[in-house]
Amino acid sequence: MNTATGFDAGRSDLHTATLEEVSQFLYREARYADDSAYQEWLALWDDTDIVYWVPSGKADYDPDTRISYINDNRNRLQTRIRQLQTGQRYAQTPASPMRRVISNIELLHDGGGGAEGHGAHEIVTASNFVLYEHSIQASDQLRLWVGRSTHRLRRRPNGELCIGAKTVELVNATRALPTLAFLL
Amino acid sequence: MSGIDVTAEQPVTVTGRHRYTDADRVNGLAYSDPDVFELELHRIFTDGWVFVGHDSEIPDVGDFVTRRLGHDPVIMLRDRDRSVLVLANRCSHRGVTLTQAPNGNARSFQCIFHGWTYGLDGSLKGVPQPGGMEMSKSDCSLDRPGQVTSYRGFVFANQSGTAGTLDDHLGTGGRELLDWVCDLSPIGELDISAGWLGQDVASNWKMWAESDLDGYHLGTLHNSLWSVVPDTQYGPAVLAGESIVKATTRNRGGGHVELEFWRGYDRQLAWLGVPRERVADYCEALTERHGRERAEELLWMGPPHALIFPNLFLGEMNLAIIDPIAPDRTVHHHTPLLLAGVDPSFNLRVLRQSEAAMGPAGFLLPDDAAAAERMQVAFGQSGGWMDMSRGRSRERIDERGHVVSHVSDEVPGRGFWGHWAQVMAP
Ligand code: FES
Ligand SMILES: [Fe+2]
Repeated sequence: MNTATGFDAGRSDLHTATLEEVSQFLYREARYADDSAYQEWLALWDDTDIVYWVPSGKADYDPDTRISYINDNRNRLQTRIRQLQTGQRYAQTPASPMRRVISNIELLHDGGGGAEGHGAHEIVTASNFVLYEHSIQASDQLRLWVGRSTHRLRRRPNGELCIGAKTVELVNATRALPTLAFLL
Repeated sequence: MSGIDVTAEQPVTVTGRHRYTDADRVNGLAYSDPDVFELELHRIFTDGWVFVGHDSEIPDVGDFVTRRLGHDPVIMLRDRDRSVLVLANRCSHRGVTLTQAPNGNARSFQCIFHGWTYGLDGSLKGVPQPGGMEMSKSDCSLDRPGQVTSYRGFVFANQSGTAGTLDDHLGTGGRELLDWVCDLSPIGELDISAGWLGQDVASNWKMWAESDLDGYHLGTLHNSLWSVVPDTQYGPAVLAGESIVKATTRNRGGGHVELEFWRGYDRQLAWLGVPRERVADYCEALTERHGRERAEELLWMGPPHALIFPNLFLGEMNLAIIDPIAPDRTVHHHTPLLLAGVDPSFNLRVLRQSEAAMGPAGFLLPDDAAAAERMQVAFGQSGGWMDMSRGRSRERIDERGHVVSHVSDEVPGRGFWGHWAQVMAP
């Protein structure tokens, strides 16, 4: 028993997540993204075997044959974060003030049994977001971003949740988008 | 001589109100004046040749993509006889668009308003309640651009039909670039099948013709990338120091301009970022097609980095279309340059590289957009003169009559604007 988290890796029923735990995790992720807290945001991700995907439409296609806005593995996601941290990523310098509202959170799989095609203990959650971005790098516009995120969450050995995969389907992903240099 | 330059003896006034270009200078009003934009839509995007798409985007009968010629919506499609057609996306009755989809496959197009139905060749096949029809159906086919011609699968159209031949528009300089792109495929063909992403930018379209071909800004505007990914082909080619780098700029004439990064590469296949062993099959297939000498040359050079005036950017392993929306708004569309006749892993690599570099979330283009948008802001209501003289005194004319110079010199900008001034001249 890990006394710090109350998590016992040996007991499968304790792998399961509640809607409350997942919601709090998503809210925290949203706050880090809104605050451009790059390091904290990246720390929410698993260390290996991750996918951060922003498809060019619905997430119903093979990302190896059709282009996506973002299709990051761990290495590329780290590069993305490090570029933002240089202070010379002019598309996000200064960082856009942003606030997003996460809602309609559903726990699609609580991690108790095998999610189809995924690790037995992967937790799958989907939620909607409305994001207001104040783009101040050039033309000073309040931009609206709307979409649905699907997270596949995992447990670290210490029981903490982390992100294994995140897919963001923007409602207007099939049309031209303005600069998307911040974190969705 | 193809030496198109902006050493214009006479200032170019085009709208009769302002001077927009001078020797080595461009006025900000050329990017912000609505009258200039209006005139460009006519002179450049209606009276001239513009790139529409690549025929590999529509391999099967009925496949179509929707595009714009200037602001005119068109459908590029594969007809039943397998020919590629460009049709007005505008019902001949009262002018409703026939499709709003970016792409798809159709057997026919039916207008939502009164139900007129058109075949893939644009002919009117049927109308509801034909008793009242005054027009003959054969007079109601969908309009077509005045001229449509393709070269190596690259489809170009000219709305007015008065642009002369595509051959003349491309010239040797432009055709060579398209040949070069296709030569990278072991079967000489492209596979433009991964779809296009659009980047919506609050700047004039010409900023993209410039910044896509600006070899001066890589070390500054894009430094955030090199500082975290130091080992790219651009290091030795462009970033190593002004007196060291060997990459060059080239004005091929006709507004077609080029950055020759390849002259500064430090190894073969630097453009693909893999050692030769990893793509041994590709190297072998290329040798089989072109012979050893040309194959080795291609493996060194990789793809061109060039603009085909006015709207096609050959962005190394990407194609991009510059789509003017308004004086201060442009969409920059891009797709990875996938090759036919290569292993899927080759194209997968190209796709992933394209996602890394290009588009609204890429590691490069968002910063170009920031600069372009800040230019647009800077011009305000009065414009102001921009200097484009860099390298004027060290550029030279090579044996082919092309102006060439250091990679950081504004030869492409002057080549673009020189041609612009000719086309726009009263
Ligand atoms: S406008 Fe198309 S059928 Fe009437
Ligand atoms: Fe750039």
